[in-house]
Amino acid sequence: MLAKAIVNGLLSTAKEASKTNDKMYSIYTKKTGIPIRLYHKILLVMRLTTVILIASLMQVSAATFGQRITMTQKNIPLKTVLRELTKQSGYGFFYDGKAIGDNQKVTVALSNAEFDEALKNVLTGLNLSYKIDGKIVSIRKIEEPSLLDNLIARFQAIDVSGRVVDADGRGLPGASVSVKGKGNKAVSTGTNGSFYLKGVNEDATLIISFIGYVTKEIKAAKELGDVVLELSTSKLDEVQVIAYGTTTQRLSTGNVTTIKADVIEKQPVNNPLLALQGRVPGLFIEQATGFAGTGVKVRIQGQNSMHSGNDPLYVINGVPFNSQLLPNGNSILGNSGTDGFLTQSPGNPLSFINPADIESIDVLKDADATAIYGSRAANGAILITTKRGKAGDTRVDLNLQSGWSKVPRKLDLMNRDQYLEMRREALKNDGIENPVPGPYGDNDLNGNWDATRDVDWQKELIGKTAGYQDLQGSVSGGNERTIFMIGSGYHRETNVFPGDFADQKVSLRFDINNTSANQKFKIQLSGAYLADKNELPNRDLTADAVSLVPLAPDLYTGSGKVNWSADESGASTFFNNPIRYLFNSFLSKTNNLTSSALLSYQLLPELAVKSSFGYNSLSANDIYKNRLESSSPEDLEYSSRNTTFTDTKMSSWSIEPQLTFNKNISKGKLEVLLGFTVLQRKSDQMGIFADGFSNDLVMDDILSAQTVHASSSINAVYKYNAIFSRINYNWENKYLINLSARRDGSSRFGAANQFHNFGSVAAAWIFSEEKFIKDNLGFLSFGKLRGSFGTLGNDQIGDYQFLSLYVPKPRSVPYQGLVTYEPSKLSNPFLQWEETKKWQFGLDLGFVKDRILLNMNYYANHSSNQLSFYTLPYATGFQNIIKNLDCTIRNSGWELMLSSNNVSSKHFTWSTSINFTVPKTILSAYPDFEKSTESTTALVGQSLGAFKVYHFMGVDPATGIYQFADKNGNPTSTPNDPTDRTVIIDPMPKFYGGLQNTIRYRSFQLDVLFSFTRQTGLDDILFGNNNYLPGQFNFGLGGQPAALSDRWRKPGDIATIQRYTSSADLNLPWANAATYSDAAWVDASYIRLKNVSLSYQLPDKLTKSVHLRNCNFFAQGQNLWTITGYKGLDPETKNSVSLPPLRVITIGVKVGL
Amino acid sequence: MKSKNIVKGMVYMMGLLFFTSSCKKLVEVDGPTTRISSEDIYSKDATAIGAVTNLYVSLGLGSLVATSELSSLSCIGGLSADELTLYLRANDPVLSTFYQNALTNANVAYWQATYNRLFQVNAAIESLSATKSLTPAVKQQLLGEARFMRAFYYFYMVNLYGDIPLLLTTDYTKNSIIAKSPKSQVYSQIISDLKEAQDLLADQYLKNDCIASYTIGSEERLRPTKWSASTLLARTYLFIQDWSNAELQSSIVIDHKELYGIESLDGAFLKNNREAIWQLQSVLQGNNTLDATVFLLPASGPSSRNPVYLSDDLIKSFEPNDKRVGAWINSVSVSGSKYDYPYKYKIPQTGTSASPVTEYRTVMRLAELFLIRAEARAEQNNLTDAISDIDVIRERAGLGLVRDQNPSVSRDELLNLILGERKRELFTEWGHRWLDLKRTGKVNEVMTIATPKKGNVLGWRNYQQYYPIPLWELNTNRNLTPTEGY
Repeated sequence: MLAKAIVNGLLSTAKEASKTNDKMYSIYTKKTGIPIRLYHKILLVMRLTTVILIASLMQVSAATFGQRITMTQKNIPLKTVLRELTKQSGYGFFYDGKAIGDNQKVTVALSNAEFDEALKNVLTGLNLSYKIDGKIVSIRKIEEPSLLDNLIARFQAIDVSGRVVDADGRGLPGASVSVKGKGNKAVSTGTNGSFYLKGVNEDATLIISFIGYVTKEIKAAKELGDVVLELSTSKLDEVQVIAYGTTTQRLSTGNVTTIKADVIEKQPVNNPLLALQGRVPGLFIEQATGFAGTGVKVRIQGQNSMHSGNDPLYVINGVPFNSQLLPNGNSILGNSGTDGFLTQSPGNPLSFINPADIESIDVLKDADATAIYGSRAANGAILITTKRGKAGDTRVDLNLQSGWSKVPRKLDLMNRDQYLEMRREALKNDGIENPVPGPYGDNDLNGNWDATRDVDWQKELIGKTAGYQDLQGSVSGGNERTIFMIGSGYHRETNVFPGDFADQKVSLRFDINNTSANQKFKIQLSGAYLADKNELPNRDLTADAVSLVPLAPDLYTGSGKVNWSADESGASTFFNNPIRYLFNSFLSKTNNLTSSALLSYQLLPELAVKSSFGYNSLSANDIYKNRLESSSPEDLEYSSRNTTFTDTKMSSWSIEPQLTFNKNISKGKLEVLLGFTVLQRKSDQMGIFADGFSNDLVMDDILSAQTVHASSSINAVYKYNAIFSRINYNWENKYLINLSARRDGSSRFGAANQFHNFGSVAAAWIFSEEKFIKDNLGFLSFGKLRGSFGTLGNDQIGDYQFLSLYVPKPRSVPYQGLVTYEPSKLSNPFLQWEETKKWQFGLDLGFVKDRILLNMNYYANHSSNQLSFYTLPYATGFQNIIKNLDCTIRNSGWELMLSSNNVSSKHFTWSTSINFTVPKTILSAYPDFEKSTESTTALVGQSLGAFKVYHFMGVDPATGIYQFADKNGNPTSTPNDPTDRTVIIDPMPKFYGGLQNTIRYRSFQLDVLFSFTRQTGLDDILFGNNNYLPGQFNFGLGGQPAALSDRWRKPGDIATIQRYTSSADLNLPWANAATYSDAAWVDASYIRLKNVSLSYQLPDKLTKSVHLRNCNFFAQGQNLWTITGYKGLDPETKNSVSLPPLRVITIGVKVGL
Repeated sequence: MKSKNIVKGMVYMMGLLFFTSSCKKLVEVDGPTTRISSEDIYSKDATAIGAVTNLYVSLGLGSLVATSELSSLSCIGGLSADELTLYLRANDPVLSTFYQNALTNANVAYWQATYNRLFQVNAAIESLSATKSLTPAVKQQLLGEARFMRAFYYFYMVNLYGDIPLLLTTDYTKNSIIAKSPKSQVYSQIISDLKEAQDLLADQYLKNDCIASYTIGSEERLRPTKWSASTLLARTYLFIQDWSNAELQSSIVIDHKELYGIESLDGAFLKNNREAIWQLQSVLQGNNTLDATVFLLPASGPSSRNPVYLSDDLIKSFEPNDKRVGAWINSVSVSGSKYDYPYKYKIPQTGTSASPVTEYRTVMRLAELFLIRAEARAEQNNLTDAISDIDVIRERAGLGLVRDQNPSVSRDELLNLILGERKRELFTEWGHRWLDLKRTGKVNEVMTIATPKKGNVLGWRNYQQYYPIPLWELNTNRNLTPTEGY
């Protein structure tokens, strides 16, 4: 009775509210002057609220409605009585004409009777039964059940209510609840996971499904209570983060590969991108050097642009992140694959993201996955999602590891005897009888240096074992409404160079999520701050290590200074002592803040509004000090102490309001997204060169400098805005269609061409859901065919390219006291978007209950209207202009990924995953090619990276110098450029991929990853190491690989290396041509044992006894072993002058409290 | 009712989004504050002067052992000719190819940088002609300077490369398909630009506002004047063998005694001396001239830092008591070898900024005009006046005068003497020797002997007198033909 009163009360309040609606709003509007649009919206919301309220109250059974009936009649038709009852109670009656005839009469005498009582009274003895269902009362004959019963059964339906929750009891909003069978109904769960399904047959079965969970079937009942969904263990149901949303591999229409935290944390890397190497089909990652903070080149499905940026779009928690740093960093880090007209900037911005913070990295490849990012995602997108807390008790996680790293491979260089033999022979060949005396002469042969020394410079300069420490800790927890996580990390890597040059990172992050009590308003706030301090010198000693001569003197003097190795007269002889570079210091301090907030409000069960806000700021402070110790005594009078201070800052903010609408329409589920983006990025740099410090101690203080002038400046603003929309329709998890569209505007183009439209269409057919497949192909647990097409753009050309600009040229002594200006480039005000059309077809198959999964993709991208670096004759004043070229690049390829759970038992599991990509990038069309300025260099119809070289014909036995085939195939030592360049070389990878095995036996787990690449690369020491020909000597440099000993000595010799020479004169054109010949291009394919991780989980009993949640000991290794035929230092960096990726081995422990 | 409202709401929302998205303000940017657009640069006196002055900065900055700025001709031109010897053990492959007359079209030499400067010049002429916002005097001077510089660059380009593309605009669509113009056409353009420049340029050295002039005696000879234009014009006429005009133009400058006169040997390369017609100021701290940085040999002798010294041939050409040997040439002995080096500029580079600047790089000086006029007069059979001009140079060198020793010298003898005097007077200055050999037709005769001496076993070939048009250029401009012989 109490419930009844409350219900009545509520009802009247609702009625009351709706009655007074209009009046109330009008007053309100007058007072505050709310615009008419907003007024309508408020009205709409309130009306809808009323409707929802009423709808939810309808759940209450009709049986409890108490209407008093009063009626006194004699011998009147039953039908009339029923009509009167309807009038008084509001209940409707349903009956068959045969059950109640026109002439069936009754007598009633009711006074203030309950409806139930009244009905009983009226129908007693009439051989009729009744049933109240909602506000309908169905009446039928008790006997003679007939065909009619079936019909009536339809109305014997129930209203089902319940709540879908996860294993932890948290509501799952957006789960789908549908009735099995034909003509079914379906609803989505509300914000707290609850649902209400009207008019369900009592015998019906409900199907409850949600992304990432095992679909559940349950028999319908009025009050289902909490329905618990289990997390799916199938890879197909793992959550994939996509642009502005999530999906699963099962339901995705696009080509997305997801790498989770468990994979990332098994790899001791300092840049999360490096953890993706060899793991994602279609993603090619190349590390430029082995330094902490190295440049990393990332290409998704090949290179779409000839000359503008080919970087993917990076998005961290929904907020775009930089793909390149600004110039003027430490150049030895190598660049991140900048081609063409973009400034070469060393390092990679993702080095300033802590890999341990990452929950998942999703690589979006095709048009379907990326078109909604429009102009920025022609090269694909990489979405990074950071870790989040979990409801439950507060937990503390620690991950501590420590390790060692080392250069994994050494070059086989000439030892002292081989070297001296080469040098003496070179002098002899040059007709020099005695080594040149004096400090500027042949110090290695003239007695100035100790010729008995035989030093392994690779060991001295890059042979040290570097340290590796990584400490991570986090605290997380929360309740059903609020979860949080805070974490902190410390990472330190030292270097293989002599001395202590550490890179240290300290990071802090947080993540807070809150949901309002009514489950409608949600906020998510996350942020990370990382401070990096890198003391790496700005000289890569690898180049010196491989070219110092074996008998070069000690690097240091007894007192720790640079050893210039003075001769008897006191003159220096060891000018190229590389250790002098280490006396100059380069200190780079970088601070990276990434933050994002997501606010959402569920306006209606179907409609949500949300907005993301992001602010990123990456700032760097570089201090390069040039000290006097690095100058030889002879150079001292020309030298001064100077410091270059460079302050760089890139900051960006973005706002993305979105509206999402989900509704079940017919048998399918419709999702509509509409959004808007405003983004602004500022890049600033200020470099100051301060000169003339009096001593080393004051070199940090600009006030102590004698002269100061500006050395660099950048001040650029990039503005960007867009509207976007996506419509997704999922018909019974069987047919999926996905449309997306975006209209973009970018400040990088001239006024006429700032806006452009992009879009995509994608469809998928999960044919394994079809009955005929289920019936006939039982082994096939999953099968999906999908295809997508879309257009995307590229605006990675740098800022202000359409403007013609004059650059100030500051000088330490201005000419006549004037600041002078110089034009920086030819400008083109007509620049337009580069457009990429992407086709993609994919087949996903699952066998034996998804234990074997196969994904295949074929992609074909056509990039046209190339934002290109059009070469021009020097006579035009510059070498190029940025122009939209009418040529087309065709990027196509096959991607394959096969994962299998080979063995899966209680104590032993073994799974294997292999991925394989065969890319092909072709410059497919170039209209008016003959007329273009690139007609002699570009190769239409060939690989984009291809170029022509001379054909090497070995050493001329008569003269001992190299010869090459001319265009007729005849040998010549003076080949003609370009007509004699006849051989096409293509350095782009032919195929690449990875093979991973994971084996778990009881508490042990072993992960092994091999990555492989087939490619051609330049052997940069085959024809002279570091630009020194075999036989040359330059103040310490001139060491050569041992392989160069097969040389020409006398006429008639057949040899692979031309005659040794100590001079650079006439031999140079041939030696130079050799490096531009096919002989210099060698197979640089490799298979690398990229990662091994072995862990041991302490048994539960043991951990519990010491009050730990879990405890895990592990050992990890990176770049452990490489199989390659490449003769240089490393086939990945493809050179011998920069530090190769290091072999890292760590041990550590993971503890949960 | 319910779904109707949802649809309505979405329509409102979409309308709002489309409205804002068409708002161009969100993607409009101002130019970067650290750069100036090409429209703005020539709209203010200060920036316009800054843009033109940049040409002189560049010219003065070029390293002597790299071929980008024409000022390195002082070294490179000497290497190509018979003036300088390259220290081969310096292992400088690029210098070797210049030295041994073994250039290939892979070498871009002066082409790239000079055409970039010509772009700046043409941009200046186009913008200055169009602008109305500059002070008229500034506009006139800058236009004169730009015309002068265009002539200056083309003079060297036509002499180094022969037939070359003659570009007078900044339009890259035209410039990228332009064919070569014959030398004669380039010379007519040079002459017309110089005549323009003579009219436009000030007859005083101007301060950095391009309006005020320095008081005579304390001027900074850093900006081209009417007299610089006349000097280059005199030289141009000499090169195209228009003797009377060469004489006329030289006299214009020689007779302007208010500003110019022959200095002592020690004073001829000091900054702002009376012999200097146009000089370049160093813009590097602690540096007087880049010439001294390379040419002055340290006690340790030549090296990769100082890879050149004077050729025996040049040293031997001096008469025994020529004072220039003592004043302008110095030497160092290392391990028994003696290396003579140019000593016109005497102040080496220093690491400290405190040391005073006493020397500027001289681009043009009065002595050359006496030599030009002597030659022009001799060619016109005015031997008496020719002798008096050459004697000005000999007198300063402390040599016996022609009018005393050999008053009845024949015309050919005199011309030979003048050419020899040019070699000894103008060595290691702006490639005079290399250009003179070619214009007088003596290049084959001299180089046939010199080139093998420099280590080129294949010897001299006539086509090597011109530097090759770079391969890059031939590849990118389909209307361009290679330099003959390459």
